[in-house]
Amino acid sequence: MTPPDKAATRRRPRTSGKLRAVALMLPPALILFSLFVIAPLLNAGYYSLFHWNGYGTPQDFVGLRNYERAFDHSIFWVSVRNTVVLLLVSIFIQMPIALALALAIYRKTPTNAVFRLIFFLPFILAEIAAGLIWSFVFDGNTGLVAEITQALGIPPVFILSNRDWAFYAICLVVVWKYFGFHMMIYIAALQAVPSELIEAARIEGAKRWAVIRHVLIPHIRPAIVVSGFFAVIGSLQLFDLVIPLTNGGPSNQTHTIVSYLYTFGLTRLNIGYGSAVGVILFVAAVIVAVLYQWQLNRERAK
Amino acid sequence: MTEVRLSRIRKVFGAVEIFADLSLTVPEGSFTVLVGPSGCGKSTLLRMIAGLEEPTEGRIEIGGRDVTDAEPSDRGISMVFQSYALFPHMTVAQNIDFGLRLAKVPAAERERRVAQAAQILDLERYLDRKPAALSGGQRQRVAIGRSIVRNPAVFLFDEPLSNLDAALRNQMRVELAELHNRLDATMIYVTHDQVEAMTLADQIVVMNAGRIEQVGSPSELYERPATTFVARFIGSPRMNLLEGAVAAEHGAAICGIRPEHLTLTEDGPWAGTVTVAEYLGNETVIHVQSDLGDLIVRQPGQVRLAAGTPIRLTPDLSQIHRFDAEGKRL
Amino acid sequence: MSRSNFLLGLAKVVVLLLCAGFVLGPIIATVLGGFKSTGDLRTNPLGLPKVRETQFYLDLITDPAFWRYMGNSLVISLAAVGLTLIVAAAAAYVFAQIRFFGSRFLLSYLLLGLVFPFATAILPLFITVRDLGLLDTYWAVILPQAAFGLSLAILLFKTFFDQLPRELFEAAYVEGCGYIRFFWRFTLPLSTPILATVGVFVFVQSWNNFLLPLIVLNSREVFTWPLGMMQFRGEYLTEWNRTLAFISLTLVPAIVFFLAAQRYIVAGLTGGAVKG
Ligand SMILES: Nc1ncnc2c1ncn2[C@@H]1O[C@H](COP(=O)(O)OP(=O)(O)O)[C@@H](O)[C@H]1O
Ligand SMILES: [Mg+2]
Repeated sequence: MTPPDKAATRRRPRTSGKLRAVALMLPPALILFSLFVIAPLLNAGYYSLFHWNGYGTPQDFVGLRNYERAFDHSIFWVSVRNTVVLLLVSIFIQMPIALALALAIYRKTPTNAVFRLIFFLPFILAEIAAGLIWSFVFDGNTGLVAEITQALGIPPVFILSNRDWAFYAICLVVVWKYFGFHMMIYIAALQAVPSELIEAARIEGAKRWAVIRHVLIPHIRPAIVVSGFFAVIGSLQLFDLVIPLTNGGPSNQTHTIVSYLYTFGLTRLNIGYGSAVGVILFVAAVIVAVLYQWQLNRERAK
Repeated sequence: MTEVRLSRIRKVFGAVEIFADLSLTVPEGSFTVLVGPSGCGKSTLLRMIAGLEEPTEGRIEIGGRDVTDAEPSDRGISMVFQSYALFPHMTVAQNIDFGLRLAKVPAAERERRVAQAAQILDLERYLDRKPAALSGGQRQRVAIGRSIVRNPAVFLFDEPLSNLDAALRNQMRVELAELHNRLDATMIYVTHDQVEAMTLADQIVVMNAGRIEQVGSPSELYERPATTFVARFIGSPRMNLLEGAVAAEHGAAICGIRPEHLTLTEDGPWAGTVTVAEYLGNETVIHVQSDLGDLIVRQPGQVRLAAGTPIRLTPDLSQIHRFDAEGKRL
Repeated sequence: MSRSNFLLGLAKVVVLLLCAGFVLGPIIATVLGGFKSTGDLRTNPLGLPKVRETQFYLDLITDPAFWRYMGNSLVISLAAVGLTLIVAAAAAYVFAQIRFFGSRFLLSYLLLGLVFPFATAILPLFITVRDLGLLDTYWAVILPQAAFGLSLAILLFKTFFDQLPRELFEAAYVEGCGYIRFFWRFTLPLSTPILATVGVFVFVQSWNNFLLPLIVLNSREVFTWPLGMMQFRGEYLTEWNRTLAFISLTLVPAIVFFLAAQRYIVAGLTGGAVKG
């Protein structure tokens, strides 16, 4: 304690309780996060400079050769192309469908609630289960496709073994699995549009379509931006669906970046090479995040 | 015993200095009200006494003990917040009991004290309810109950009545005054409402922009305001302050006269015209435009005066307050 | 006017029903497929089974391996939820309640995880887990799963904690309640909605996760159900009905859980949308 005559001197703040709380409650998160998220990320950058099979310590320093190899590998570019196709399908087919359905069923009625549940259902299924379900559906001998070809009397079609069409089949499954998620985001935003706004537009004589175009859609733009962000990040990460559907085949034509990384990095124990692909993926994700933040700031500025 | 003494307090938030050098003594057993306009630092001062804020410099003593560095719970204080801050997931009884539990008071004693507090505050029927199921006045009582069970030497209140409607506020004011008589503890009470200050306090501290303008009993403040700020702040309708020739006539830069010390007379020395006459039942408040400036006049009973009526006023010269150019009382 | 409205309404219902058929068709075919003999499945993949074969479902239900997969997934997911909630809530509480030097920096650091996909560092993660000697243990999945859930959880928790009234803490503090006790006695009980939302999300993510277990679990003893299911699919390549029965059995808990936790799942989506 300060003696009375020094009352007016600067004092040290009383902090013991705070310090104890900070010292006890923060480190678990910091340790867990650093050990399993940040350290692997930094290691990916480091390992990517080596030719390394994962045993011992990386010693065979190769500089940027792993990156060069990736950029010279035709299948890497196939996986990039597939990821871009998926991204375009997600944005230009899936999101409009989701928006249309959201507009159709966003009002709170019992029937709408049932449709909402149904459309959302695929999202909560495991990717792996969804992939297996659809590999059954696409099976030329036993699935829906088989039923159609039998009805038409033509020989069985194996779409997932078709070099040209297999990836579009995967895109179809992606739309099936995720459109409900995007729809839910829009519905939440639509339900938050103040009803006076819609009523005011109606009173001014706006027709149904005009209300949608000039009131509802501008109002949920932020939600659309968010869902677009999820669509892009999701496309970059797609893996679980590919494995049960095609496992990257036929002839490696249906790889996504992550399944490429898994197949050519881990299963062949090219840790250095796989890490380089991981770093490329990371850079892509950072670019997306930066663009997204930039777009978000623009939206806010309006 | 439980006098509260603040010496040479300085307080800064970041780069903003709220108090430069503030000293204040709250006598033992008094009901002291800190009053002042919003943002003048009342809450900050109270929170420093509670230990929720730390003074940058200076010293705080409670009952002769230096508590500048003590934890709030070691200061022998309790505090009632403006929002009541009741714990929403606990029943009334648990809310009141919480501090006693933390202080490890034996169960039997805790029960006795909770029951006693509930009885004093007329909360017995609500002990098992959650705060959400109570009315505003009942919540207020629970907040008070929570502070009285701990038998603090000093009660701190931060605008406790400002969330209540006018009728309930009057009633709670009376109850607080009774509580003070009964508990015989020191109470420090923050409000921006001068009526609340006048009716509750035996000592009022008028604050303005981080400085203490005047400390005194309600009648001292009313009868002998130390500054023009206090003169304006205490009393409703507020004191008329006049500058120029009239003031000079009384040997001051500014002179003040309360509305009740002006009378309507046929041949008074001050002339003006009525702008509005507000009839309040027991009295009428007349707003007058005069050569000396705008004046407010208070007359008992009903006085019918249309706007624009010319009138004459006589001031009670024995009731003139004189201030210098800085606003200090002469 | 009313006629065109009627037609519009009718068109809407037809489109909605078609979409519902597209969504539900494969799922229903899967459930029914588990009841069909191989021949039946070949000739009649989508219709009702001619003879209801309960054999494949019964085989699975009495197979200890099936239950072991489900049990492993349950233990791992619950542990991941528990760990994420407690660790993230504690950290978010510190950021919301206590101002200290470097807190903004540390918060930004912990939120870095929002930016990049799990898969980017999966190979080094494999090495880390291996070097820690955790391969083929539950921890190999639990710890990374919780770590990757931290960023979003901390963000959502901090937003929620910031909205709890500050005076609540002060009232408790004046009565002698410290920071850590306040966390347990007040912050957590008052935050059940957000705890449930985050918990449900982490649970679903962990329960469905495939890539992480695929990489760090090799022994069938510790397989989670997605790994078990792929294994099973590989063993009965030509007998779709067995795989379909397996899938159907895993749909049941997913759907039950979804119906029970719907509120929180939707809240999580809107939380994500609001957070931007
Ligand atoms: N934690 C804080 N950080 C920065 N400034 C503050 C803080 N608390 C209060 N202030 C400032 O201090 C001044 C006094 O505030 P306060 O004591 O709450 O006033 P009152 O209770 O009299 O209305 C105000 O200008 C306010 O903005
Ligand atoms: Mg205040």
